[in-house]
Amino acid sequence: MIKVSVNGEVKELEENLNVDQMIEALEYKVKGFAVAVNTTFVPIAKYDKTIIKEGDTIDILAPVQGG
Amino acid sequence: MTKHIETNDTWQIGGKTLSSRLLIGSALYPSPANMEDAIRISGAQIVTVSLRRQAAGEGNGNPFWDIIKSLGIEVLPNTAGSHSAKEAITTAQMAREVFGTNWVKLEVIGDQYNLQPDPFETVKAAEVLVKEGFEVFPYTTDDLVVAKRLADVGCKIIMPWGSMIGSGKGLMNPDNLTAIRKQFPDLKLVVDAGIGKPSHAAQAMELGYDGVLLNSAIALAQDPVKMADAFRLAVEAGRLGYEAGVMKEREFASPSTPTVGTPFWHQFN
Repeated sequence: MIKVSVNGEVKELEENLNVDQMIEALEYKVKGFAVAVNTTFVPIAKYDKTIIKEGDTIDILAPVQGG
Repeated sequence: MTKHIETNDTWQIGGKTLSSRLLIGSALYPSPANMEDAIRISGAQIVTVSLRRQAAGEGNGNPFWDIIKSLGIEVLPNTAGSHSAKEAITTAQMAREVFGTNWVKLEVIGDQYNLQPDPFETVKAAEVLVKEGFEVFPYTTDDLVVAKRLADVGCKIIMPWGSMIGSGKGLMNPDNLTAIRKQFPDLKLVVDAGIGKPSHAAQAMELGYDGVLLNSAIALAQDPVKMADAFRLAVEAGRLGYEAGVMKEREFASPSTPTVGTPFWHQFN
């Protein structure tokens, strides 16, 4: 298992998960979000090739109100 | 009855032709239904939105985003909360994927007290985003040189503040805003932030600005829907006033009623 930070909270994940598998493991069911790993945007097309590593910081963002 | 002059002028911004010059925010309303009604009655054709961390789980979709989509108007995602060019660039890239638009309201905050934009990081981020194909709507101060730098890196739109975000203080420095307008006649200029009353919006339009962007002034009014209508009218009035050509100020009084034929004046007095 590895420890990562997801939206500011520490989570444990299995090793060698890609972003698709991470989303499934974290049980994100609702679509319409975007992902950044270590403050770098990961487009959907790169989910399967982006492997999550120990200590990564992950942000999963969705639409909200804004000014 | 004399027919009103219709404010049916259209304008172009970010590759779109619009009829409303009011850009509206989607935050701080008393309820989602109130937000929807206010946006509709404002006539705005651009609404700002944002991105925040989403919790995991099944959820019920995203009711907020569903309302915005149902309005059928342009969305302008912001990078609010960014404190560096890097954060703003990443947020813009994420927004492009989520919202399906290359428009971004670039907002890089340099000071937590007055939420003043960081001019250095804003210009840095703008340069990268323009190269990546974004239509950048940079939120900046009313500093002419910063506006120049933003134009230099390819921004076609500049959004100087009226005053601090959410302050409702109106246009702190109309002279600076006028200088930017005169210096950049071909750029799209939008006063963003600090507007509190419809008269502030009218004033910005009278200065020749192409539009105004506001949120708190409508959302925090006692009756946001009525205020949204007031701002619709104020923006139209200000624009018409600008197009009509405002009279020149004079140093001395000048009577408007004709002096010839003034009654009760007699030569032998």
